[in-house]
This record gives sequence, C-alpha cells and structure tokens, in this order.
Amino acid sequence: GTITPLDDDYLWRVNDHGKTIREIRRWSKNDAEAYEEYGQLMAEMARFIKPILSIVPPDPGKISPRDWLPLGPLAKSFKELPQKLQTTFIQLMTMSAADFLDQWFETEPLKATMSASGIIGTFQGPRSPGTAYVLLHHYMGEIDGAFRAWGIPKGGTGGISYSIANAALSLGAEIRTETKVTNIITKGGRAIGVALEGGEEVHADVVMSSLDSRWTFIHLLEKGILDPEFESDVMRYKYRGSSGKVNLALDGLPELACKPGRGEWLRGAISFSPSLDYMERAYDDAKYGEFSKRPYIDCIMPTLVDPSMAPPGKHTMSCFVQYAPYHLAGDNEWTPERRDAFGETVIDTLEERFPDIRSKIVGKLVLSPKDIEDWTGLSEGNIFQGELSLEQLFFNRPVPGWARYRTPVPDLWMCGSATHPGGGIMGANGRLAALEYLKEKKKGRRAA
Amino acid sequence: MAKPQIVVMGAGHNGLIVAAYLAKAGHKVTVLERSSEAGGILRNTEIAPGFTAPGIGHTVGRLRESVIRDLKLMQHGLELLTPDVRMFAPQPDGSAVTFWGEAERTASEIRARNPKDADAYLAFDKKVRVIASFLAYINVATPPDAKSPSLSDAIMGLKLGKAFKDIGAVAGRETIRSLPMAVADLVQEIFDDEALRGPLSTRGVKFTATGPWAAGTAAVFLNDSAGNDGGAPGEATFAKGGSGALAAALVKAAESYGVTIRTGAEVTEIRTTNGRVVGVKLADGSQIDTKAVVTAADPKRTLNLCDPVELGPHMVWRANNIRTPGATAKVNLALSGLPTFNGADDVDRLKGRIVIGTSIDHVEKAKDAVKYGHLAEEPWLEATIPTLVDPSLAPEGKHVMSVLAEGAPRHLRDSTWDAERDRLGDVTVKTLERFAPGLGELIEAREVITTEDFETEYGLSGGHVYHAEPGLDQFFAWRPLAGEARYKLVFDGLYLAGSGAHPGGGVTGGPGSNAARAILGDLD
Repeated sequence: GTITPLDDDYLWRVNDHGKTIREIRRWSKNDAEAYEEYGQLMAEMARFIKPILSIVPPDPGKISPRDWLPLGPLAKSFKELPQKLQTTFIQLMTMSAADFLDQWFETEPLKATMSASGIIGTFQGPRSPGTAYVLLHHYMGEIDGAFRAWGIPKGGTGGISYSIANAALSLGAEIRTETKVTNIITKGGRAIGVALEGGEEVHADVVMSSLDSRWTFIHLLEKGILDPEFESDVMRYKYRGSSGKVNLALDGLPELACKPGRGEWLRGAISFSPSLDYMERAYDDAKYGEFSKRPYIDCIMPTLVDPSMAPPGKHTMSCFVQYAPYHLAGDNEWTPERRDAFGETVIDTLEERFPDIRSKIVGKLVLSPKDIEDWTGLSEGNIFQGELSLEQLFFNRPVPGWARYRTPVPDLWMCGSATHPGGGIMGANGRLAALEYLKEKKKGRRAA
Repeated sequence: MAKPQIVVMGAGHNGLIVAAYLAKAGHKVTVLERSSEAGGILRNTEIAPGFTAPGIGHTVGRLRESVIRDLKLMQHGLELLTPDVRMFAPQPDGSAVTFWGEAERTASEIRARNPKDADAYLAFDKKVRVIASFLAYINVATPPDAKSPSLSDAIMGLKLGKAFKDIGAVAGRETIRSLPMAVADLVQEIFDDEALRGPLSTRGVKFTATGPWAAGTAAVFLNDSAGNDGGAPGEATFAKGGSGALAAALVKAAESYGVTIRTGAEVTEIRTTNGRVVGVKLADGSQIDTKAVVTAADPKRTLNLCDPVELGPHMVWRANNIRTPGATAKVNLALSGLPTFNGADDVDRLKGRIVIGTSIDHVEKAKDAVKYGHLAEEPWLEATIPTLVDPSLAPEGKHVMSVLAEGAPRHLRDSTWDAERDRLGDVTVKTLERFAPGLGELIEAREVITTEDFETEYGLSGGHVYHAEPGLDQFFAWRPLAGEARYKLVFDGLYLAGSGAHPGGGVTGGPGSNAARAILGDLD
C-alpha cells in the first residue's frame, strides 16, 4: 500500500481493493467510482501496450514496408481497440499526468500520489506533457501477475540481482566483479573484445554493453571510430538526472503525526505528495537549477518487511527524493556542503510528517545525482540511462535510427535501459537484445 | 434539385472561408455571427478616436496562398504588407537580436555576438524549413480515419509517405525526433546565446498555456513555420488597414458568392434527432431548419450547444475535457510618438514583431504563473507597431502598439479579471519600459482585453485563441478529439471548420478550407 500523509489527515491506499475504495470515498464519492473504472481501463491499456515492449523498433528514416512490418500487428490491434481505448492510448502517449488524471479525479492527494509514478526518474513535472506515458510505464511492471503491484523484494532490490545472477551462472555464464572495463577493443572497425583495468584483454565474438550510450560510445570507444554525426547524436542525448537518495538508519520506528502508532500503513510506501501544486513546485525549483525546497519523497522502511536488514529493534528508511538536478544553476557543482544541505532539506521535509524522526537518526547516507553517477556509472545520475521523454523513446532510443540494439560498430551491441523500452526493473531490454542477437547469428550461419 | 441550405456558425476567418468555398461550389450558405460585427479575432478596435488596433490577431502572414487565390481576396481589397524584419528581440543588457526575413542577414548580425551561433542559425533555419515543408503537406491533409481507412486515405497516406521520403532519411529521423520535443531543447541544443534561445522559444508557446520546457512545443514552433515562408523567425505580415481589413475582404469574397451574413445572431442550440442535425435555434427564439451546420466556434462551445442526451454521457465527458487553458491577453496602446527601443538603431528593426522573451527561463517563468492561477509578474510579450508599415491606422505622427501578453491565465485563483485588468496593463507596460525607456509617457490611451474578455467577447472557451490547446494530445488525427478529426463532428450534418480542427489555430484558413473540401465531398 501507499500512504500519503497530510497536515491533519492522510490518504491510504492498500492492495485490498475494497478498502481502498472506501478510503477514497471518504474524500470523494465521484473519485471512488472513477477509481474503479480507471483501474479497469488502465489494466486493459497495459494489456494492449505490453506487446510494444517486445517489438524491435524500426528505423523511421527507412520507409520500406519490410522495416515497418513489426508494427503491422500493432497497428491492426490498435484498429481493433474500442474507440475509448484508442483515445486513452493517445492521451497516455501525449498528455501530462496531471491533465490525464484531472479528467478522472478531484482529490488532490490522490492525483498527486498517482502522478508520482509519472515523474519518477524523469526531469519533468506532473504538468509536463508526456508524463502520462511514464505513468503507464510504471504500470507495466508485472510482479506476481498483478499489474501495478510494486514489490518490495526480500533482501532489498539486491535480491533480484542475485537471483538473475544465479540463473546466469547456472546456464554457464561467468561473472567477474571488480573488473572495470577501460575500453572496447576494435579491429578493422569491428568490436573484438574489451580491455580491463590492469591491462588484461578479453576477446569476444560480440560485446554487449548494458552501459548507457554516453559511456559506451564516448568514454569506452577509441576516438575517430564513429561517424561525427552519430557522435553528435549521442552527445545531445539527454540524461539530466533529477533524483537523489537519502538512506537513514533509525534506532526506533518513527511515527506519523497524522496517523500515530505503528501499523500496517508504515509497511508500504509513504508518499510525500500532498497536491499537484506541491509536486509541480518541486519541479519548478529543479527547472531553474536548485534542488526542491520541499521535494517529493517516496519513502519505505524495508526493515518492516525484512527485519534482517538491521539489528533487532532498529530500522532503515530508504527515501527516493525528487528533484535534485544534476546540473545546478550558475554552473555550481555538487559539493559536500551542498549535498549536506540537500540531506537536511529532505530530513526537514520528513520531520513535517514524522515529528520525532530527527531524534531517531543514528546514521545517514545522502546521494546527490552526482554521487549516483560516481557510484553506479549512470551518466548524470539518470536511473533510466537517459530521459524518458517522447523524443527519446522507441525509434529514437538510444540514438535515432539505431533502436535495434545494434550499433554502427559491428559486433558491439546495446542491451541496457538506454535501449527500447527504457528504464525500470523489467529486464525487457536485455531479453530483446539477446533475442535480436540470436536471430542475427542464426541468419549469419545460414548465409555462411 | 436545389442544394440544401447550410448554416455556418461564426464569422471569424475560418467561418467566412468555409462559407465562401461552400457558396462558390453552389450551396446556399448563411453565416450566423453572435457579435455585431464579422471578423472574430481579426476585428479591429478603436483604442481612441483615430487609433485603430487589431483586437487579437495582429499579423496575418500565415494565411494560405491558395485561400487568397481561390477567394480572390486581393480583388476584394486585401493588401499585404511585409517588412524585411521578422522579429526584433531586445535584451536586458541593452543589446538586441534582429531576425530578418533573410537568414544570411540575421546570421551576419549574430556573428558579432557569437560566430558559432551565426553558423548554427543558418543550419537551424534550413532544418526548420525542411521539416516545415513536410508539415505543410500534413496541414493540407484531412487526418486519416483510424477505424476504416478509405481509398482516399490510402492515397493521402502514400502522398505523405512520398513527401516524407523526399526529405531524406536524416531529415526524416530529425522530423520524428523534433516534433514531440520541448522547444527549449530544440533551440538549446543548437544555440549558446540566451538572446537567441529566448525569442526563438517563444514561437513554440504563443497562445499556449505551457512554457518552452513542455514536450510538444517544438511541434507548435515548426507548425507555425509551415505553409508560407516562415523559416526560423516566423512570419511578420500585416494587412493594410489592420487585421480587420482581411476580415472585410473575406466578407466581400463570401458575399460575392452569395453568402448571407447575419450579425447579432447567436446560436443557442444545435438541434439534432437520432444522431442527425435538423437545425439551429437562435437567441431571439427563432429557428432555422437545416441538415448541415458548420461550426467555426470552438469544439467545446459547439458541443455544449448540442443536446447532452443525444451526445451521451461519454461524449459529454470528452467534450468538457477538451483542454482550453487560455493564457494570453491583449494590451493595445495609442502612442503620441514612436517609442525608442534599446538596441534599435534603425526604425526598420521595429517594423515586424517585437518579442520580449529574453531567455528560456523568462518565457518559462511567465507560463509558470499560469499553472498556479496568477498573472505573471513579467509576462513575455509579442508587440507590433502596425503604424510603422501602415500610418493610416493613427493620426499623423502618432502610433499604435498592439501587445500580446503571455502569462495571463483565464481563471485567477485569488482575484478576478475585473480587479486585475489595470494591473495587467501596468505589468505589460512596465515590462515593455525595461526595453523601451520612456514608453509610458507616450501612452495616450490604453485598451486592455483580458483572457476573460476573450471568452465573453470573442466566444473563445477558456479564452483560448487557438480554440483548443495545441498540445500533442490535441493534434492532427486527434484534434479536437480522437475519432472526430475529419471535420465531421459527432453528428451527421455537423462539421467543425474552426481552429479546433486540424491543422489548428492561427490565421491560416487551413481548418476552414480543409473543412470545405471534406463537407463538399460529403454533400455532393
């Protein structure tokens, strides 16, 4: 569930549908009714959209019907959609999350909290056109077969990585950690392997990069291999990290002022999103190069789900914070002082809802987008390896004309969030890249 | 057999154009206009005795050449005045950038500021022209029917496909990438100088509620250049005698084909039976029976004149969700002399559009205010001094200044437009004075037309000049609504021919002439 704390009240949506409807009815009868209809519509929509995630985008520069063939079934299924769903699809692709939700709902905390999934990880506000799409993007995470069930995995999200790693190992893959690739080796314009820190070279038939396009093409490839036009397309690709992270170690469970006590509501997400204006103002600050004075915070306490993550009786709080722009106004840098100020702003914001939180903090970790870049190698700290704006999706992801996992360097492939269908823990990008590669390999063998 | 009578609602430019085309094809057409005068947003107003200013639209350069030709507008008195300059953009530091019709001339002046931007400008102008040339094809097209594409759709599709192919693979990719972009990104990735970025970005947000950081504003910019010789700086063409003179020429053209224009005739109800139009009811209680009603009013207003039971709850919901967030107001000034602008050594520079949009941030902040229901402290402005190209609009030696003030939401959260009218005028003049010191002392009279007036006086829902926000969600095949983009609107016999239809707002005549083609195809 998700609870949105407010001054004297709260909005608490839970996985129990009936309960959520009753809660929304407390705010607005109309919204409770609309919520049902909306949920059904979005589920139908997600079912239609899902196949798009498995399409390898064509090159819009080529107009030969063969290139567009994969879109045929999609166009056909669009035509067969009822008008209502066609309209919804177009709206989702083009509208702002706020405009889209305004059609349905009137309760501010409800709209604001729902809009949050439209802006997470993007440098856009809920009133920015195109964010309704991202709203759906997040609906498509299908965990345990239920749409829009945001899972909190046991052992943290790290648990997912470990299980994927185990699967790979069991199939014979080798994983080498603490092995930094310093460059991609090419010979006669083809990728033939990678060079590691320390000088070792690993030769391979194919190099698959799950790094973003700036790392892959600009940092790791030797200069002069790429066509300058391609290189400038890579350079103008937008990253614009917009989020920060604050992790707190707490020596006890904090209490919400608007809903005191320790209960179920603390086990899910706690969303600092009281109104659309609040969210939009947070974005306005970032637009002009400042971190939000009152940010949107998505906060969870993983120890309530998995107590093993902290000593007995202690807790951790993980806060996803938006907005913290990578590029600050006046060419300012993210200094340690500025990072501390950002952390304090987040704690001040938390304190407005959790009045006792400051006294419980025994440790904290604050990450600016610059830190996220340094820690993870994600350019500009963008968690999706490139802004999910309309001009950077589908055909155009990660480079216009190169959306098919291949790159201008033969045997160098892309397979990360930088590619279609974008970021999020979906695994679709890696799967599609692998399938595409296997298809090509088979074709090559047949030709030979 | 005599062709049936067609009723056209609204005598704005699109209403008059569609009426003229239909009458030219032999139909009996009556135009019903709610106000006492034809012309819509082109109407002239008199600010003070002897000072004539355009009510809303002050330039007419995007008017389709085919419309001018087909309706013989020149013979009916239209005279177009096109100065060399398109846009003059003064800066806070006292300098200015002038955008001329000739890209080379603009670039050579920019070179003194920033050589890199000078080269970039030439490339940008070229790119805009290529993409705009493709959009010009789209603008003439009737949007396709997603449900059951017909043979003509297929032909149109092939034509568009060919036009797309003709611009080449690189430009094709660039077109697809550019349209959904934010105009701020479009100009920021090319220019270093805010003095170029700011004024150019305004072209994507004129008459919109969004700022230049909104996705899809690049499409508004590019569309504004489509059709005529727009290029990077856009058009700056005036009608001699004021914009109202274009309206007068359209009235004459329409009447020459036998159109009857009735002013002071407000339609209060569009009558339908079983999904078919049967007539209209007027404010005076009279009725006109007709099987075809063409509306040049905005789609939200139009559908609200229809029977909600016939529309059905879903269509009522959709109609009321057509987004019409007006955010632009108008200030007309009667000046005792010509104001001096910083950076304008030569009066020629002031003859086009004078744009006060000094940086992307300035333009964005003006539109931020709209989101929270406030009047911007410093709106971005597009001013013209039509008396510089047409001195007849003011007494000798005096001038008229027509200013579009952007950042004035239709609905104010903490106040009313009655209370804020003067402040709107003051804020506008104050903003101008930062770049034209002493302008305030030249003002002999001032007319403030608020966003609310746009709704009440001009009949524009939400005070939106473009009838419906030109966002990506109300574009091409889904303007004004998905499934209703082919000029027929919901009912058999009801047609949309105003800016709420493809290709959208602006004085282009596009919706009116496209609609006429679709209606004639339907009726004949």
